[in-house]
Amino acid sequence: MIFRSALAAWVAAIGFAAPAQAAEGERVQITGEIIDTWCYFSGVMGFTDSVTGSAHHTCALWCSAGGIPVGLLGEDGEVYMVLKIEGDDQSASGDTQLKLASHEIVADGMLYKRDGLNYLVVEAVVEDRGITNLNHEDFGVVPPFAIPNPDK
Amino acid sequence: MKKLIAALALIATPLSAQDFSEGSNARSWNLYAEVPATFEATVVDLLCTVAGDCANECGTGRQLGLLRSADDVLVYPNKNRQTSFNGAAYDLHPYCGKLVDVDGLMIEDEDIPGATNIYLVQSIKEAGAEEWAKTNQWTKVWASLHPEAKGKGPWFRRDPRVNAFIEADGYLGLGLSHREAYEITR
Repeated sequence: MIFRSALAAWVAAIGFAAPAQAAEGERVQITGEIIDTWCYFSGVMGFTDSVTGSAHHTCALWCSAGGIPVGLLGEDGEVYMVLKIEGDDQSASGDTQLKLASHEIVADGMLYKRDGLNYLVVEAVVEDRGITNLNHEDFGVVPPFAIPNPDK
Repeated sequence: MKKLIAALALIATPLSAQDFSEGSNARSWNLYAEVPATFEATVVDLLCTVAGDCANECGTGRQLGLLRSADDVLVYPNKNRQTSFNGAAYDLHPYCGKLVDVDGLMIEDEDIPGATNIYLVQSIKEAGAEEWAKTNQWTKVWASLHPEAKGKGPWFRRDPRVNAFIEADGYLGLGLSHREAYEITR
């Protein structure tokens, strides 16, 4: 009996055979920058600081229009994958998220967590501060071909 | 009893440690944290699955996920196989709600918060089917949606919405002219 109880506790502790649980939402207000998540996570264009802000603005437009998920890079360094903004569920190439590319916003909404990722349903953009991360001063433009040579 | 405990321990191995690279034919992108991964999954509507927002489930323009059969982990396909800034939603959309096999690259980077279960899907087929489909549909769908933008060069140079933002705010989004933005970033 003691062994069975111990085994059951051990199994429960490690989550074996636990049924899938729907994530529970949490009301949050997050300040951060709307970013292009693929470049940020994959490192395909360089390290994380260079694929945000003004340096990466044109690429952020391309990626958002191209249907790559956008995220809200919070002041806490966490990335919140944006699934909906103010009723617009077009999270793959939608207009609402496109106009916010690289902008610093204050978002009020519901946070869901699952399998290591944060998912955010933005109910209201409380404040849109525009582009505040002027990192082109440090990194130029990323990728370099984003701004074509005006003389060609 | 020792055998039972050993078997349970094996089954209870942390899910993140599972290896899905066996049998993968994914092509490397030479990314720092890429891992080849092929697995069976159900294509799901992320808003519905994560937040219970199912009114427009599997609707066009919503991001889709891959609910992996082996461990019930929700994988987020950020990217298709094309190299011109294209997501995976258009390629996954015909399979929404279906059981599929996928092959591609998983991004698992412990140094970047949130860089886990991020996927570049390169090939997809309905589970059990013989033929794989390459995930290269994005530019075809874009072209059908924007016949007015037909022309030379990559889609992202011709996209009407992107070009409208660049026209209004410049390449850096700061209101600089084309030349000013170019010169300040050289």
